[in-house]
Amino acid sequence: MSHPILPLAERRRLREKQIKKHQLANLLTHWFNVAMWLMLLPTGIAIISSPRLALSPAIMQEMFRNLFGGTANLIRFHYSVGLFWIFVLAFNVLIGFRKYFIPFSRERLLLTRDDIDWLKIKPMQMLGLMKDKPLPPQDAYNAGQKLYMYAVILGTLGIMVSGVVMTFHTVFPPALIQWAQPVHWVSVGAVVAGLIIHVYMGAVFPEEKEAFFSMFSGKVSAWYARAHHEKWYWEKVREELEWEEKVTVEVEAEARAHEAAAPGAD
Amino acid sequence: MATKKRYGFVIDVSRCIDCRACLVACSVENQVGMKYTRIWVRDLGVKGDYPHLERTFVPYNCMHCDNPPCTQVCVSGATYKDADTGLVLVDQEACIGCGYCVDACPYSARYLDRERGVVDKCTGCIQRLQVNQQPACVATCVGRARMFGDLNDPNSEASLALKNADTVQRLDYELPDGTHTGPNVYFINGEVMDPAVLPREPKYTTAETAWRRLLIPAVVAGIGLSFLGQATFFTKQLLEGEKEFEE
Repeated sequence: MSHPILPLAERRRLREKQIKKHQLANLLTHWFNVAMWLMLLPTGIAIISSPRLALSPAIMQEMFRNLFGGTANLIRFHYSVGLFWIFVLAFNVLIGFRKYFIPFSRERLLLTRDDIDWLKIKPMQMLGLMKDKPLPPQDAYNAGQKLYMYAVILGTLGIMVSGVVMTFHTVFPPALIQWAQPVHWVSVGAVVAGLIIHVYMGAVFPEEKEAFFSMFSGKVSAWYARAHHEKWYWEKVREELEWEEKVTVEVEAEARAHEAAAPGAD
Repeated sequence: MATKKRYGFVIDVSRCIDCRACLVACSVENQVGMKYTRIWVRDLGVKGDYPHLERTFVPYNCMHCDNPPCTQVCVSGATYKDADTGLVLVDQEACIGCGYCVDACPYSARYLDRERGVVDKCTGCIQRLQVNQQPACVATCVGRARMFGDLNDPNSEASLALKNADTVQRLDYELPDGTHTGPNVYFINGEVMDPAVLPREPKYTTAETAWRRLLIPAVVAGIGLSFLGQATFFTKQLLEGEKEFEE
């Protein structure tokens, strides 16, 4: 994070100015995902009760079985919510394919040269080394967020595919069902490992406070954008300038047309 | 696992003539498909020299073990040892038919019903037990080779038969972790271990083994590291206090 030295007045202006970062569709999908995970993760952990695997505490297994009325009902709840989750996410991706999905995967997802450098420097700085080395400028999502995105995308696909196999177990061969269970669990594990950092960085870490509120308002301050997502910030500034220029040209053209239509009216 | 009641079978192998009426009665009672059977009769072959020949038939089914290896591998607990009766049962509404338990059973007493996508096995006819009736196989056995009852109750038919038996054999099996299966099927009045056809070593599917040996350590390490990382920064944040980041 480069904190440029700017005059106080300019800093105040940037802090006041709000830039749109997230569209409403993104916010809704994100919080929908959160709601589904809150229901699916605890029930999923509670289902796994094999003593050989020893992956959940007995009290949790018993509590959820009592709460839902037995193993079968617990599993029914889990896959019903899961299927709803798959349906809504797939629907969102399909309906927003051109507006959100393609631009996102083209512009926001891939690691650039700067991202690779960031990944080399940032972990060192977190360990207290290379403090004087500047971090390369980052896009709307920094390299760490991009890595988490990979875990989420691959993990989500793994969870969904293996979940569907287990839910519709009558049509799939047993060998597939046998593997679907560890695949489901590992995919969840990969996402959870990232999720711990994601929640901490997003909701608790002081420097990223704005990122958290932006997940409700959709907006961040220009100051935050410039400090944390410099590339994206300048892109936004360029867009704004272009827009201003376009509007100026249009207004001037309109004024000329107006004058030509009614010469000497004033 | 100690249970209130300990229902089990006592099988008098000297009385079995391999008529297999028990297989039919079981399939009818429990609506087992034509392709499958929940219980079996094993022919140990002809033994001895002419004219002193003998042949032993061993009827068997799920041993309703005290320490069943099948329930240990079941991911969801769809198969379990019933705490009231001691019977090993499958909740077929929870079972997804992965077959971990089928491979793990040292007695090969379970099968995968592909049509229904679930695992099926002997239930000790628990539906008949609840109305004080004997399991279908026991009720139908003309030679009275099969007996069933609470082995914790010294006056049950099974316990009495066990007490009065000439010989008693139990196909106990020592599991890799040193514990014993503790089967609740007792074979009386005959030799059932020669040739030793049962039990076999429990098999653990590649998926389950890879999950337990490889994937759990990897994921636990990953989540642990991630948790430790955020915990460190969180502690630092709490100790140092927060300042307005912009300044």
